[in-house]
Amino acid sequence: MGELHVYDMIVVGGGPGGYTAALYAARAGLRTLVLEKLSAGGQMALTERIDNYPGFEDGIDGFTLAERMQQQAERFGAGSVLAQVERMDLTTEPKVLETSEGTFYAKTVVLATGATPRELGLSNESALTGRGVAYCAACDGMRYKGKTVVVVGGGNSAAADAMLLSRIAKKVILVHRRDTLRATKVYHGPLMQAENVEFRWNSVVTELLQEDKLTGVKLKDVHTGGETVLPCDGVFISIGRKPATELAQDQLKLDHNGYIMADETTKTNLPGVYAVGDVRTKPLRQVVTAVSDGATAVHMAEEYLAGGI
Amino acid sequence: MAAINMNKEQLQQMIQGDKPVLVDFWAPWCGYCRRIAPAYEKIAEEYGDRLVVAKVNIDEEAQLAEAEGVEVIPTLILYKNGAAADFVVNPGSKAAMDQFIQEALEK
Repeated sequence: MGELHVYDMIVVGGGPGGYTAALYAARAGLRTLVLEKLSAGGQMALTERIDNYPGFEDGIDGFTLAERMQQQAERFGAGSVLAQVERMDLTTEPKVLETSEGTFYAKTVVLATGATPRELGLSNESALTGRGVAYCAACDGMRYKGKTVVVVGGGNSAAADAMLLSRIAKKVILVHRRDTLRATKVYHGPLMQAENVEFRWNSVVTELLQEDKLTGVKLKDVHTGGETVLPCDGVFISIGRKPATELAQDQLKLDHNGYIMADETTKTNLPGVYAVGDVRTKPLRQVVTAVSDGATAVHMAEEYLAGGI
Repeated sequence: MAAINMNKEQLQQMIQGDKPVLVDFWAPWCGYCRRIAPAYEKIAEEYGDRLVVAKVNIDEEAQLAEAEGVEVIPTLILYKNGAAADFVVNPGSKAAMDQFIQEALEK
């Protein structure tokens, strides 16, 4: 065996934050590798059209944008491996990443592992995913054209999903466990005025009813405990996101929702380890804020590699 | 080698052969299918000597998809000795596909 091959930077996660870090790192002359478990883009890859990423005046689909970000980073020399990271040691020098495709070593690590939709936690939920249960109105909404759908949640993403679905579905029923939306005010008026949107306040979904596919949901009133059955063709679960931080939780400081604690510098509590994109504590999770993080992380990593802090 | 597009007749003939056949049931409008496609092509490269790695577009082969009981896509089915040995719906990583293939081959 020769000497260990040590990358200057390994990026975990090939979404927009990850591939922007890879682009900036490769252009800065750093030996850079991206570890991605499936394909470029992360959550963005399932977004049919992105209209708020500047420079694409007609919009662009998330999968294509992701592929182009990957190709751009690779053009400058960044490498990609389709690997699932199984264990990390971020406190050693070099840092060690054990994956399904072998062990990799790096001087700096950028965590761009993103987030996934939070689930209700009902027993038949995953079996019904794609057969009536969905997590992304922008992705799956068109399948419910002219049908009745339930949206679960009361935050911004639930409100936005209900608005979007009200333009596609025949009827939208928003189920929320409180008596008012948590979503910002801009959503309230349009939702209340939409003729085909109904509300079931103080209610939680306790059961997903199915025959071959979803046929409805069972609701429980959180005050009275009374149960009702609500027939529907689809249920969109919009109760927030879950950051992918299981592998880092013993080594990195996380906030109470599981996001990696890092400010605008993307620096974590460990030297040479940076958190970018949706996985980081931040006020706005968008493609543009993720790519911004990616560039910042490389700037900080260059300082670190040069012997600064 | 790239994954081979197949129709019903080709698949029925292929699964009678010596090599196990892995099939990705997909459709062009399916975002999750698109997302597994790059990893599936990698699978086709890596397993080319042991498996026939194929794809079936369910829009073009609706009858075949129905006959095979495919209701959700993407679904991967591994056929051995002329019959389906196992299936997996929407694998979340290339590692999950590797594991599925290895376990299905051992069955």
